[in-house]
Amino acid sequence: MALSKEVYKEFEDVVGEENICDDPAIMPAYFATEFAAVILPKDTAKVQAIVKLCNKHKLKFRAISTGWTGVFPKNTILLDLRRMNRIIEINEKNMYAVVEPYVISAELQAELFKRGLNFCIKGAGSNCSAMLRGHGHLDQTTSADDRNHLAIEWVTPEGEIVRLGSLGSSDEWFCGDGPGPSLRAIISSAVPPGVTPGVFTKAAIKLYHWPGPSKLPVVGKSPRYTLREIPANMMARYYSFPSVEKMWQAELKIGESEIAYELMGFNASMVASNITTCNEEEEEVFRRISQEVQGPGFFVIIAGNSPEDFAYKKKVLEKIVSDADGKSLKSVEDPEIEGILLCQCVRISASIRETFRAGGAFNSIPIMGQRDLTIKWAIGAGEAKKPLIKKGLIVDDGGAFFGWGVEQGHLGKTEIFCRFDPLNPEAKKAVEEWRKEQCARAVNERYFADLLMAKIDESGPSLSNYHLWWRKIVKELDPNSVSPEGGPLV
Amino acid sequence: MALEDYRGDMEMCCRCSCCKFIPMQMVQGAEYSYACPSIAKYNFHAYSAGGRLNIAASMLKKGFNYSDKILDIVKNCQMCGACGVSCNYAMDMEVLEPIQEFRIKTVEDGHTVPALEKVITSLGNQGSMVPVTGKRGDWASGLNLKDATSKKVNVLYHVGCLTSYDKNMQKLAKATVNILQKAGVNFGITGDAEMCCGGRAYQMGYKEDFLNQAKKNMAMIKKAGIKTLVASCSNCYQAFKVLYDKYNLRGDLEVLHITEYIARSLNEETLKPSKKVALTVTYHDPCRLGRLGEPWIHWEGKKIPGDRFVFDPPKIYRRGTHGVYEPPREVLNSISGIKLMEMTRIKEYAWCCGAGGGVNESNPEFAMWTANERIREAVSTGAEAIVTACPWCEKTFNEAIQKNESSLKVYDIVELVEKAI
Repeated sequence: MALSKEVYKEFEDVVGEENICDDPAIMPAYFATEFAAVILPKDTAKVQAIVKLCNKHKLKFRAISTGWTGVFPKNTILLDLRRMNRIIEINEKNMYAVVEPYVISAELQAELFKRGLNFCIKGAGSNCSAMLRGHGHLDQTTSADDRNHLAIEWVTPEGEIVRLGSLGSSDEWFCGDGPGPSLRAIISSAVPPGVTPGVFTKAAIKLYHWPGPSKLPVVGKSPRYTLREIPANMMARYYSFPSVEKMWQAELKIGESEIAYELMGFNASMVASNITTCNEEEEEVFRRISQEVQGPGFFVIIAGNSPEDFAYKKKVLEKIVSDADGKSLKSVEDPEIEGILLCQCVRISASIRETFRAGGAFNSIPIMGQRDLTIKWAIGAGEAKKPLIKKGLIVDDGGAFFGWGVEQGHLGKTEIFCRFDPLNPEAKKAVEEWRKEQCARAVNERYFADLLMAKIDESGPSLSNYHLWWRKIVKELDPNSVSPEGGPLV
Repeated sequence: MALEDYRGDMEMCCRCSCCKFIPMQMVQGAEYSYACPSIAKYNFHAYSAGGRLNIAASMLKKGFNYSDKILDIVKNCQMCGACGVSCNYAMDMEVLEPIQEFRIKTVEDGHTVPALEKVITSLGNQGSMVPVTGKRGDWASGLNLKDATSKKVNVLYHVGCLTSYDKNMQKLAKATVNILQKAGVNFGITGDAEMCCGGRAYQMGYKEDFLNQAKKNMAMIKKAGIKTLVASCSNCYQAFKVLYDKYNLRGDLEVLHITEYIARSLNEETLKPSKKVALTVTYHDPCRLGRLGEPWIHWEGKKIPGDRFVFDPPKIYRRGTHGVYEPPREVLNSISGIKLMEMTRIKEYAWCCGAGGGVNESNPEFAMWTANERIREAVSTGAEAIVTACPWCEKTFNEAIQKNESSLKVYDIVELVEKAI
């Protein structure tokens, strides 16, 4: 359904003719959806005006930032927020940064490093919006999800600008809960049935101390960047353990002692993805590393604030690993490989190697909760992958899962994915079935699984009928039903 | 290979947006983080490499229904290849090659742009990609240079269209000649007989016109018994070295850029820069000397059926790793008094000058916008001058600087070497 000339003109008057397009030619560039138009607003006022027009004409709309994934009904008005790319403020004293949606994490992090600060970049990678909610490699020390969002500016589905948290009563961004309205429970994308409707136009993000240099000494040429030297008081290692129990024991103690800057429960396959530059090399390195590791493991970065602090943390780490019969992966002790991993896992720049490179697609199930319990679920999901591996439908990673501690292990996230060729219909179907079965198993066993692909009406009752309340809230927020539900936007 | 041969590569695109930015580890802040001028200027995702690949893949499925918008998307790209470097940091897939084939297909299907048609007509009629005034070899009048078509020389200096005909650029040819003479090289030129390399026609999508030029050039070179060709234009360099090889036309001709030849002469001590040149400079890596100047890799194979995007035999991708980055820097560092300040976007992830891919001819305003971005970045280093190694870069930068009344100076590297010897 094309927009009428009159309606198109109304949108055009808001953003200018160069910032709106309904030519079918551009649509495949976005997603396999026929959008009514793509619009590029420059600021919150323009977003508000567009949303109000959508309500006036009963047109559905959705917004994207870097636009990796998303589900979009046909004839949606797509707000591509690419022009909203300003870092509004970096408040060093109160340790927060205010950004617009198209500031990517790599940009913000580089600015923060110059100031001795860092933030939680999501696992999707530093190529994604810094505003993105979710989990990442630094969860151990930075926490994740809604813990890192402070005040937020939100254009509701009706076009009202709501300033949440301290922004609601002042021009300050320091708090997400007040003084001013706190809608923390609503501003969420991690719970079913989907993302919060409307458009987030600015967000304050919590910042953390960065003990590393103002700029990492990256050398080499793409695709093999490494560090000229390991920065002072920093170290990266991969440890494997004889059993899941031993690994969990070490993970828990590392959390309790608060010595790790990053603890990422990579499996051997993900280590291989990170340190290799192509698929063939990855296969070969995975085979080699699989022989070296003694069982499940994790990657750790230690970062000291002084030589003494570093020496202490290192000593504690070695004791914990030794007590759990852990073994350091020799390949990672090579300074070049250590540099590759340290840089990539601080800058979160190799997520695509881990996920898309091998086959072109991946399908993942993340589970939140206490790690020792969620790992038990993940072992089952890994076993269920093995027949698919045997048939050659998914990439062989040994049926592995991964995960990491959040807030020094008080919480945790466990995840498992299948990598496959999306052009192979048999593989695609098999992976979808695997995902559906394992999600259902998670819900039945009372784990907090990502339910977007599951039948929410079936699983909702196990979550206090959350979905019914959510729908009522959405109806109030979006009386014209112009802001459709969908998967979380990356 | 035709566009359909890249179907698998195009469908590997996961829309991660990495093609828009320089490699993530190299991002140094909110400024100078973009790699692709096209998306940076035009904003719609269609103007990114990922967008173009997804559009081309969709057209392969649904048919090639051309519109003005499609042509606008296809043509407003400098074909600088920065997208491919950023993508190929993590992904195994061709990026620039399918975009090039998409461009070739639009031309073959008869969907062209008047400004580019005019240039190609001129190439056919007058053998030049730039307006012709006088004879091609007029710049060499009175220099008594050897005619490489009739006399035995060790090196052919291929001057290029812009340097030959543009009166403001002829100084580069004279500087190059001066350097080669000081280095004691037995070289020659082909003067009025020199022909356009065809490289810029190829960038514009005119493959047949390019091949026509390539065949004529190689016939002349073989007839003259030339073993080594030196180019001072990065477009010519890439055409002779990479594109001719891609189409199996280069044979065993050694192709060097003048910066490589000077660096070699410095190492062999046949050239000694002795005079001081007191100047703080920043170096701009031309796309076709840098990332696109890396050798062509001949490969033919098939995807291995199964879970991974791998091939038999294994495919080695050109990721920009082996471009010509160090020789120009070695040359600059050999000159006493030169202080080199690097920009944020360098080497394999350098920002384009704006002149490539026919943009200079079809959309000069976009070319200027792109050049202005580079000038701004150069100025941010504190350099007094931006140094490059391609006449097209120099011309575009000069035009941008004149329009903006910037005090930044522009040099080709041969101008500084000439001052130093």
